[in-house]
Amino acid sequence: MSFLAMFRLELRRLRVQALAWVPLALSLAWLGWCFTRLLGDFLAGEIQRAALPDGPGYVDLVAVPLLGQLAQLAFLVVPLLAMSTLAGERRNGTLPLLFAAGLPASRIVLGKYAVLLLWLLAWLLLTLAMPLSLAHATTPDWGKLAAATLGIALMLAALAALAVAASAFTAHPAIAAAVALLLGLALWTVNLGAQMAGIDDGAINWLAMSTHEQNLLRGLVSTADILWFVLLIAVCLALATRRLAADKERG
Amino acid sequence: MTAVHASAPPVLQLDRLARRRAGRTAVQDLSLALPPGQVLGLLGVNGAGKSTTLAMIAGALRPDSGAIRLNGEDFLERPELARRLIGWLPERAPVWPELTVTEHLDAHGRLRGLAATALRAARDATLARLELQPLARRLAGTLSQGQRQRLGLACALLHRPALLVLDEPANALDPVQVTVLRALIREQAAAGTAVILSTHVLVEVTAVCDRVAILHEGRLRHDGPVRADDHAALERRFFEIAMQGATPAAHAA
Repeated sequence: MSFLAMFRLELRRLRVQALAWVPLALSLAWLGWCFTRLLGDFLAGEIQRAALPDGPGYVDLVAVPLLGQLAQLAFLVVPLLAMSTLAGERRNGTLPLLFAAGLPASRIVLGKYAVLLLWLLAWLLLTLAMPLSLAHATTPDWGKLAAATLGIALMLAALAALAVAASAFTAHPAIAAAVALLLGLALWTVNLGAQMAGIDDGAINWLAMSTHEQNLLRGLVSTADILWFVLLIAVCLALATRRLAADKERG
Repeated sequence: MTAVHASAPPVLQLDRLARRRAGRTAVQDLSLALPPGQVLGLLGVNGAGKSTTLAMIAGALRPDSGAIRLNGEDFLERPELARRLIGWLPERAPVWPELTVTEHLDAHGRLRGLAATALRAARDATLARLELQPLARRLAGTLSQGQRQRLGLACALLHRPALLVLDEPANALDPVQVTVLRALIREQAAAGTAVILSTHVLVEVTAVCDRVAILHEGRLRHDGPVRADDHAALERRFFEIAMQGATPAAHAA
């Protein structure tokens, strides 16, 4: 009951914020342009590919690269969407109102996170609708598309959890957004040095988000990759919850 | 004036409550009980510990030690009791600026566990009682401080709590609204609601309170009944307490 109340309150707050709509609208316009460009390239190379028995198809050349574009945009869009979730409450002085309504910190964090996920899911589905609108005219590799979609969904969920955690530690939404952006980029590129040195299977590679995301975008679904994302989400949400609970303790 | 149900068990009971804040003792060894229908005024100079005490009673801040009982139940063990039993108006009435007045009331009602039909009825009645109907569709971020204060009060009253906790409720209200507020507080007390309000305006206490508690440096220094014609005595007592430890210059002033 209180989770639902929190969810509805946060949904209403997000729905009326320009910062919730503008990044999504601009990014969808960009993705629409990317889609037409990718589709143009796909159609232009169709005759050459016909000669290759196992050549890349519609999903490899249009859908997955489009989702890859969305993944890149997510590093910027997710922190913008999430920056006010908890930092905004702290800035407005409304966090004590939520505590005084008997809401535990975990329910406040989960209610806000669920709204963010809903918003990001809508973003992902609208992006996915572009390649799917022409799927009837091709023979897509549904398995690969499903794996890539799962990968992007997990990545969005992880970045959202990271941004909620960043938002829990400050009263300034802009700082929360900057920290979330930096942490997201750091997690993605943490193994860059190791890769450049030719190390492909070290622990540092396991830490990097890119390692797990690229497997899923290639169509390889493994429990280890999924667990990595789930672990990151759980750690971030636990940190956010602990910070809010400490707010109530410390005042 | 009083509507105290003297024989009734206390709605609120504080037992040796203590809390440190920003490295200093904000509240220390505070014990008191509040029966249904009584209006308790919490007086004190700035920094006396009034807001900290009210935040702990409202469930927004955890005490370092001591106990809070609501209707006989341990509030610290069961913080969810706040949902139904307490209505809280914090100092400066914080709002979600992107929500309208009506949406605020709806959100508070849902957070307090009101069902849809009960919420609609309570919302309409509260809007009417606090004369907020003309502002119903206004965004809270565009309200004046006095209007925000009334909205905060409406949110605190919406679910008919057993205990109303008001932190400086007359802040930023004009004289007409202050009169309406006083009538409203008495109305709530007459209906059996226990009210605890903090203020540093002595007239406020003699106008609406049945009892006054004076806090100084986090400790309870006075707890006794209030008579409407007793303003001078209360003022004398307040200044005696407030000037303890003050500089000679402050005494002379």
